[in-house]
Amino acid sequence: MAAQKTGGSLDWSPMPPTVFAPCRSKCPAHVDVPGYITAIAEGRFTDALEIVLERNPLPSVCGRICLRPCEEGCRRCLLDEPVAIAMLKRAAADFGAYQHPKPRALRKESVAVVGSGPAGLTVAHDLAAQGLRVTIIEAKPKLGGMLRYGIPEYRLPGKALDRDISHILSLGVEVRTGVKVGADVTLARLGEEHDAVVVTAGLQSSRVLEIPGAHLPRVLAALPFLEAAACGERTGIGKRVVVVGGGNVAMDVARTARRLGAAQVDVVCLESAEEMPASRQEVEEARLEGVGVHCSWGPREILGEEDVSALDVVRCTSVFDEDRRFSPVFDESETRRFEADTVIFATGQGADIGDLGIETTPRGGAVIDPQTMKTSIEGVYAAGDVVTGPTKVIDAIAEGHRVAACVIRDLTGDTALLDGLDQESDTLGEVPESMRYKVVTRRRVQMERLEFYEAVGTFDEIEAGYTEYEAAREAQRCLGCTTGARLVREKCASCLTCVRVCPHNAPNVKYRGYLIFDAEACHACGACASQCPAHAINIEGHSEEEMDRRVETVLAGSAGDATMQFACGCTPLLPELGLSDPRTLTVTCLLRVSEATVLRALQHGAGRVVFTGCVEVNCRYPYARELVARREADIRALLRQMGMDDALIVPEATDEDEGVHLR
Amino acid sequence: MIVVRAKPLEEVFDMVVAHERVLLVGCNTCAAVSLAGGEMEVATLVEALRLMAARRGRAIEFTGSVLQRQCEPEFLEELGDEGYDAVLSLGCGAGVALLSDTTKVPVYPALDTMFIGAAKGFASWQAECSACGQCVLGRTAGICPITRCAKGIMNGPCGGVKDGRCELGDRDCAWVLIYERLEAQGRLGEFGRFGEAKDHSVRSKCDVWDMSDKGGEPK
Amino acid sequence: MTLREALESGEFVVTSEVGPPKGTDISEMLSAAEMLRGRVHALNVTDNQAAVMRLCTLAACVHLKERGFDPVLQVTCRDRNRLAMQSDLLGAASFGITNVLALTGDHVAVGDHPQAKPVFDLESVQLLEAIRALRSGHDLAGNELHGTPEFFAGAVVTPDAHPLAPQLAKFEKKVAAGARYFQTQAVYDPATFRGFMEYAHGLGAKVLAGLVILRSARMARFMTKNIPGISVPQPLIDELDRAEDPVAVGVEIAARFITQTRDVCDGVHMMAVGAEHLVPRVLDAAGLEGVST
Repeated sequence: MAAQKTGGSLDWSPMPPTVFAPCRSKCPAHVDVPGYITAIAEGRFTDALEIVLERNPLPSVCGRICLRPCEEGCRRCLLDEPVAIAMLKRAAADFGAYQHPKPRALRKESVAVVGSGPAGLTVAHDLAAQGLRVTIIEAKPKLGGMLRYGIPEYRLPGKALDRDISHILSLGVEVRTGVKVGADVTLARLGEEHDAVVVTAGLQSSRVLEIPGAHLPRVLAALPFLEAAACGERTGIGKRVVVVGGGNVAMDVARTARRLGAAQVDVVCLESAEEMPASRQEVEEARLEGVGVHCSWGPREILGEEDVSALDVVRCTSVFDEDRRFSPVFDESETRRFEADTVIFATGQGADIGDLGIETTPRGGAVIDPQTMKTSIEGVYAAGDVVTGPTKVIDAIAEGHRVAACVIRDLTGDTALLDGLDQESDTLGEVPESMRYKVVTRRRVQMERLEFYEAVGTFDEIEAGYTEYEAAREAQRCLGCTTGARLVREKCASCLTCVRVCPHNAPNVKYRGYLIFDAEACHACGACASQCPAHAINIEGHSEEEMDRRVETVLAGSAGDATMQFACGCTPLLPELGLSDPRTLTVTCLLRVSEATVLRALQHGAGRVVFTGCVEVNCRYPYARELVARREADIRALLRQMGMDDALIVPEATDEDEGVHLR
Repeated sequence: MIVVRAKPLEEVFDMVVAHERVLLVGCNTCAAVSLAGGEMEVATLVEALRLMAARRGRAIEFTGSVLQRQCEPEFLEELGDEGYDAVLSLGCGAGVALLSDTTKVPVYPALDTMFIGAAKGFASWQAECSACGQCVLGRTAGICPITRCAKGIMNGPCGGVKDGRCELGDRDCAWVLIYERLEAQGRLGEFGRFGEAKDHSVRSKCDVWDMSDKGGEPK
Repeated sequence: MTLREALESGEFVVTSEVGPPKGTDISEMLSAAEMLRGRVHALNVTDNQAAVMRLCTLAACVHLKERGFDPVLQVTCRDRNRLAMQSDLLGAASFGITNVLALTGDHVAVGDHPQAKPVFDLESVQLLEAIRALRSGHDLAGNELHGTPEFFAGAVVTPDAHPLAPQLAKFEKKVAAGARYFQTQAVYDPATFRGFMEYAHGLGAKVLAGLVILRSARMARFMTKNIPGISVPQPLIDELDRAEDPVAVGVEIAARFITQTRDVCDGVHMMAVGAEHLVPRVLDAAGLEGVST
């Protein structure tokens, strides 16, 4: 039963998985954002990492450098700031354990993947996960493509990339590095050795503008420059560098040049400040690192006798014509001269697959049939930037998923992956007025980072990443979109308890007692599920069985006198209880702990149970306190009749203080 | 709706202590709506009884189950009481009674049936009807003098009313409420009418009140 | 002169009450009655007052009648159903006890057997109806009686009830049901009482003002706070507070009330609450020497 899009409330009962939170919708790979953020909010980083890996095999990478289209969709944008989704992904990768996959029965089909950038790595991952034999053919000495040789170390350290890569390789992927297809081995040969070939070679050629003086020695192209820097080799730059170009690559080049000792680095680009394709953050950081950014200038001539001495530029008055085609217009009367000893062109990348033998576009990119992802050569597929031109890393990953799904369908007949990618989905609407003032507004948790004057002297990573505690606190800002209540209609007794306890008016009674949950209003607090007498409401991703399993794990090995502490994720500091064998389990809200769970814990290893939470200053569900207090009283009343008065302990609230307690 | 309430745990345990395999049966109608006998409450009671049994060194197995309604024979067909030596019902008295008709093993009530009432809000109900079989609510503007008057009198208020509150101090005087409402409806003449003594025979004429297929008047 | 004769002749009537023992020893009850001999027209006998179990009213009334008093049988509806009440009324009449005071009665919850089943098969209005039925020679079910009793039925009214309107509506029902006289709940404010009396006489009812003799400011405050329908005005509480001998002041307050309202009411009903010896003092102070019995 598809969700009915009514502009207002979507009927969630029963709820099919075809409505995405806007963050998930905007992610080209449709990562289950609310799912992994909920896990982080409870300190379950390995669970979070697992969820990310279901859709994105490069969490360490994307957690650092993704351009995060998800955050634009975050429903908190209207309240305060979007949740730091990308930084939380990094936290999952930093603190979660990459699981070793179960050994998979190998199929007989084998595939060669040409290129090991984001698209290629994704293809390799998906195919190997299905049991196909995968061999990556990579021209460069190491895997990673642009991730290693294009994006600088201070944004994406090689070690972080290696974590993702080694996880992919652990699925059982063969690697042949230093092999360039076309030169060292032909496509045809690969086609004989494998059942399919996937070309994900990316954009390897770095465009240099043919202006006077471009032949001079210290006129460099962006990609070779960045590659040399990444390998620690001599790049050939001088002390005064001008970078031509307005994209993120130009920023990477400029900031790398600063770190390599260039005292003066300027960037000139055709675009105006608003038009610059580089992300605002990159431009801002470049400026803070001392890079001059000069907009609306077009390069005219590189001056110099034996080597570069200056770059002359002319005012660019517009870049695009009415049809949004690239058609720059210049005002010759306004010119400027930048003194320089090096000019680096970061004016675009192009595909370099001329000698592969597949049909290409006029610009050199691979031509494919979008339905089948096949090139002009039978058995050869292509995906990623080599097809589309420059995109975001996450787009390349999404394309990698698609071509892998096509290959799997063609080689094995299994269409599950492709069907999954093609699944239609609706997107959750905005936060309704009635809910806005009920959400506690909080600014984003700030991440530790190097000061810019420190950063500019080193290739060390600028951002330190969240600590576990910071990550959990930031994750607690997530509204839990689409992870809220699900009604199991057959069990509903129409008691209206959910309607009465929900502070957000999410459950609504329609005619004849028919209950509907408004997903746009639901804040996934779990109050309704905690009080429903018929167990007719589930909270997405949470169940009594799961809770009991977690409790069992936490209590494992107990001699029977353990202190089982249920701590709410918002509680900053655990109280010093001085009780024997303390074990802690962090929950989204204490309401998620049912009376039965407490009573079970007391039978399976716990001598006493502690409820730590409901410190109002921090709580994101302040109204849940009353319900928790009622539950505590009910549990106490039961325990008292068994002479176990002290078996439930509710410590007094403590002051807010930093303290890591999640695990 | 029939409003029910959990008995003290101690009392329930004493009922089943001599048994070995007890089946708890919840009810997804009035008992669930009363937040006393639904699946959640069954799960809680199962664990509480298990814990209590463990602490007292009794080896008793407790299993939980739920029926849609315990007062319907068709629903009781799914009872599944094979192998149990006692049934503990989390339904109202009618549920306990029908369960007792249906199963051979003893059936014990885990709940007390309190009244026929209406919800006031979350976890709160008020008695509104005593099932007297002779409804006079039309004359008392919807406030039942049998149920809401502590003395159940038909001409009130008595002399115990204090500031509009009942002599018992725990509720508003029903007859004051009746007066005010009749006044608001412009029906004070109704208040002055003589209230007939209740006909209690309606409830006690026969011990099985058969409202099935006879048609016409109740026996 | 009987109660009925006194009321019908327009004489200023004085009644009081005694409480039966919890047990069979009636000596205290009888000595309390003795203190009132010649001072009251009739003596009420309370019926398990405040829901505390005591020797039954009918037996107590018989004991009093044998000693020459004119008893008033108080009948509450709390403990008996309509059969038992009619049965007791016939029994009373067979002893020549015809004064009846019909009451609904305090709830069992406030007494010493709180787990008892409260009956309330009838209440005061319906009880008055039952009395009227018996007087006309048949029982409530319409069956003819062998021997028709005579009764002089009365009831209770609370002039200071909160809220007042429903009380007065019921008062009217009681009059319509056959109540010939009324004894009020304790009153202290003459102005309020006068207003009530105007209304009551308009209905043709005879009313005896109820008086509880205050013995201390604390007692006054307690009663105001806890007993429905009683509120002692602050000036009187202050008077008691200031007094060196509060009992004397209490007596004086009662006597003052009688003299201030004598012209509008048909009599007084003295509720001694265990201090029957104070009743004659009040009557003396109010200039009510004695009654012919």
